[in-house]
Amino acid sequence: MKPSFEWVRVKAVERLADKTYLLGYERPDSARSAAPGQFCMISPPEGKSSFFLPRPFSYFRTDGRARVDILFRTFGKATRLMASLRPGERIGEFGPLGNSFTMPGRAEHAILLGGGIGLPPMAMLAGRLAGAGVARIDLIYGELEGARVVKLAATLPENVRLHVATEDGVVGHRGRVTEIFAPMFAKCDRPPAVYACGPNPMMAAVASMITPEAVEFYQASCEQYMACGRGICQGCVIPVWNGDETVYMRCCTEGPVFNGFEVAWTHV
Amino acid sequence: MDPRLKVRALGLEFQNPVLVASGTFGYGDEYYDVMPFSELGALVTKTITREVRKGNPPPRIVETDSGMLNSIGLANVGLEKFLAEKLPWIAEHAGAARVIVNVAGFSVEEFIEVASVAGGAAGVDALEVNLGCPNVKAGYVHFGADPDSVRQVVSGVRAQVDVPLIAKLTPNVTDIAALAGAAVEAGADALSLINTIPGMKIDVERRKPTIAMGFGGLSGPAVRPVGVACVYKVYQQMVSMDHPVPIVGIGGICSAEHALEYIMAGASLVQVGTASFVHPQAARQVIEGLAEWCEQHGVKNISELVGAAHKV
Repeated sequence: MKPSFEWVRVKAVERLADKTYLLGYERPDSARSAAPGQFCMISPPEGKSSFFLPRPFSYFRTDGRARVDILFRTFGKATRLMASLRPGERIGEFGPLGNSFTMPGRAEHAILLGGGIGLPPMAMLAGRLAGAGVARIDLIYGELEGARVVKLAATLPENVRLHVATEDGVVGHRGRVTEIFAPMFAKCDRPPAVYACGPNPMMAAVASMITPEAVEFYQASCEQYMACGRGICQGCVIPVWNGDETVYMRCCTEGPVFNGFEVAWTHV
Repeated sequence: MDPRLKVRALGLEFQNPVLVASGTFGYGDEYYDVMPFSELGALVTKTITREVRKGNPPPRIVETDSGMLNSIGLANVGLEKFLAEKLPWIAEHAGAARVIVNVAGFSVEEFIEVASVAGGAAGVDALEVNLGCPNVKAGYVHFGADPDSVRQVVSGVRAQVDVPLIAKLTPNVTDIAALAGAAVEAGADALSLINTIPGMKIDVERRKPTIAMGFGGLSGPAVRPVGVACVYKVYQQMVSMDHPVPIVGIGGICSAEHALEYIMAGASLVQVGTASFVHPQAARQVIEGLAEWCEQHGVKNISELVGAAHKV
């Protein structure tokens, strides 16, 4: 499905946790075709823009027919404006954009790590993996503070095992997602498929804990300031190893999903 | 095609006066399914240099109030690949739109080499010379900041190419009209202005500039009054010259009204830039808005309005 731009009406804006909101709207083209890992650019209502460029957001959930949900965290003026939207207001959606996660070929076990607002594409992927019949799916979700934890359990398929880590220890394991990942990975007798989306240090840490031989693949979804979302402005690049040199790849078109072993984590 | 929007400039006919600015529409293919450039007056390609360029380290862009900063570093596929892989596709899909290739070099010689090859290629209607490029051999001062450099580049390119030549001027100079005069005397067939304005945003938490290179070029609505003023000033300069050339107005154009500001200040053509990032169909909205304005105001051809703000 080619990406396209459309003005859509907000159906709901719901606060799910501290600074964390769900934006729901109907857009059949995206609901039918968006794959886990893909994203869209959201523009503010016309005449109400306190910001200028559209902002990229991963898809969190679609119903396959019309409804699209975006999970976002208030960070700056754009996300604060989004949190104040009311049902019926018109926002622009340009999408679906970017590449998407690969479904496992031989792995029967998928381990997903979502750090903070890196959660949305992981949650969508978990659902898709369950639908594809992957035998074991572990979703490790971490937040700095318990107050920010989105209650996911009820929305995930039954066979997705959810593990929560918070650095303040208010919810789940006190500490980081990598502390749950390390023992889990050590117990894998066959190479799992590993996916991550979150802060760069988290995704870099995962890369340092595994080897290409020990996993089917490691896919990391990356983020960068973005203007056009379509590969034109060349703004959203990240460094990726090409032999001994790094090359710049665009998060919006070559990504956002990259081979986690190829991203030059020391250079991002 | 609306006859009221048809414009003749640079010895070429443009189906409308709305172009897209270099670096904001890639090579025409990325946006084609959303906004085919064949609807435009012309596509201006991303700047092409002799060698492929990786560009600057990230972060390369950041939004600022009513605009954005960028420091991409002229990342591009290089002349050879552009000619082999990009230009044939562009030429095939151009329809009634003109194809303008934006070229740059880091020395006068490189400028002339890139321009003479690109200017001689099939499917290229005109060249836009990016004078906002730093001169590596002269202490990284922008070519466009020095009248002698402007003369050397423009006259050097002029001697090698037959297609019309547009000199893209930077506003970061004491007297843009003097540089405009130098470009015209050296043989430019048109002037496009303005390029971005240097700016900086500091990330106060990290206590350093947000953009990796520190400085970035400011574009978007924030620069529009600067662009309109530069066009107005250069138009006055053109009126005083024996052989004035048309002006291409650039800087923060998001709507037909903005385009009209530039046209009335003296621009014969305009370029939509950063607005395409906000809405890929921004240029189409400008075209439709201009036709509507002409209709409402009984304007038979948009060219009647060029420089209207100067008439007393």
